[in-house]
Amino acid sequence: MEPLKDDQLIADLRALRPTPHPQFAAELDNRAAAGFPRRSRLPRPSLGRLRALPPRRLLLPAGALAVIAIAITAVVVATNQTETRSGSGNLGLLNLVDEGAVEEAAPEAEAVAPSATGAAGAEAKPFSQTVHHRAVERAAEITLAATPEDVADDATRVFEAVHANNGIVMRSSTQEGRAGEAGATFELLIPSARLGDAMAAFSDIDHVRARHEATADITAPTVSAAELLKESRARIDSLLAQLEATETEEEREAVEAELRHERRHASRLAAQLTHLHRRADFSRVSLQIETGGADESSGGGAWGIDDALHDAGHVLTVAAAVILIALAVLGPIALIALLAWLTHRAWLRRERRRVLG
Amino acid sequence: MEQTLVADAKDAPREADLAFDRLYRSSRDDVYAYVAGLLRDEAAAEEVTAAAFERAYRKRNRFDPQRGEPRAWLFGIARNAALDELRRRGRQTELTTEPADLDSLGAHEGAEHDERRLTVSAALERLQPGERELIALKFFAGLNNAEIAQVLSLSESNAGTKLHRAMTKLREACDGTA
Repeated sequence: MEPLKDDQLIADLRALRPTPHPQFAAELDNRAAAGFPRRSRLPRPSLGRLRALPPRRLLLPAGALAVIAIAITAVVVATNQTETRSGSGNLGLLNLVDEGAVEEAAPEAEAVAPSATGAAGAEAKPFSQTVHHRAVERAAEITLAATPEDVADDATRVFEAVHANNGIVMRSSTQEGRAGEAGATFELLIPSARLGDAMAAFSDIDHVRARHEATADITAPTVSAAELLKESRARIDSLLAQLEATETEEEREAVEAELRHERRHASRLAAQLTHLHRRADFSRVSLQIETGGADESSGGGAWGIDDALHDAGHVLTVAAAVILIALAVLGPIALIALLAWLTHRAWLRRERRRVLG
Repeated sequence: MEQTLVADAKDAPREADLAFDRLYRSSRDDVYAYVAGLLRDEAAAEEVTAAAFERAYRKRNRFDPQRGEPRAWLFGIARNAALDELRRRGRQTELTTEPADLDSLGAHEGAEHDERRLTVSAALERLQPGERELIALKFFAGLNNAEIAQVLSLSESNAGTKLHRAMTKLREACDGTA
């Protein structure tokens, strides 16, 4: 055969061109006319196909899935830990203390200061009652924001709230003047059983700028004082019996001296116990009414531009925080997904090149 | 060959559909010829050709005319689909044509022509797969050098040089076979 000429070679190549089967061409035309509806003729990844893949081909997707799972788990765990910590912190501020809640709480190391004042004859509560009901001292601070013209009205409402809850105003002071100068302070004793109601009533008086409540377990010093008082009274009874049995003047004087000493001791213990019971029964509340500052107009006055700006700023801050958290969670996941996708693409290109050698 | 076959994505969807329809009608047999030459399997070629058009149809609004010709874009999709099929099979299929159907060549064709085409077919078998793909794109699918360069991600001059080398080797192989 003669050497091929260029035009002959090209003509032969074109003659060797595969042509589609008419039936296939017609079917494809129909699919084209229908807008290429999705079909399942091409094999899709299945479990059997995954099993058939060599392990090294499964490494990348498996690794990416593992990293994503670890990232999600870490985020969830971190979130839970944060919530737990904040929950514990809130418990510390709550004044809701019942029998079991503070059973494990470390009792406050109370210094039992002897005092000659107070009701010497006050009866101590039974020991069993003290054991079953923890003695808890509660204290609260609340700061209200008001406009100068509202200070007097707010002070009146404070008195009304105190009296409505059977509380005691230990000290009060009201100052008139301009914003920043006007204000009022109150030192209050509120029955602990009514503290929640009283704080709610105070909060309704005006805008609450700050509020803090704290508790302290004083069960240990209360129990200790009650036991000492019981022993002291038993000692007094014993001394009285000895006094009746004395025969000489000297013996009687000695017993009487000891009896006086023991009675003073019992008196001091009773006063101390009364003081402890009062601390548990009454909560000390410090209430302040302030004027001036950022929240001045938001309490009693009409809602205005400043409030709107403040609220808008708050909303934007919260929105930014939510977006930041979402980015913190989704960012690494998106980055991992992007890296996995890029790696897959590079691998796919390499494999396609390799197919043709 | 009509070159402007796919409408801009910003055009009306109807226009995009019409443009794709024109692309389909002008390229259907060419895509099949290229894929069949690559896969050497008629059934698989039909599957891959259909899948390639389906993928192209789904992506038709993402085609950017500034990045190349629509035919080159379509053949790029077809090439990836064909290579994915080869990769899935887990075997390296050589790029050759199926044995020519000599009965269909026409009554005027003589025995000399038949012998020569069998020689060319055998010579194609001995080329490197990449060289056979170049020839398939050029003479089975009818792409010009610029389109081939775009499909294979080469420069046009590089594609032309590679094609020239492939043709030279094919001619040498034909001479050696003869």
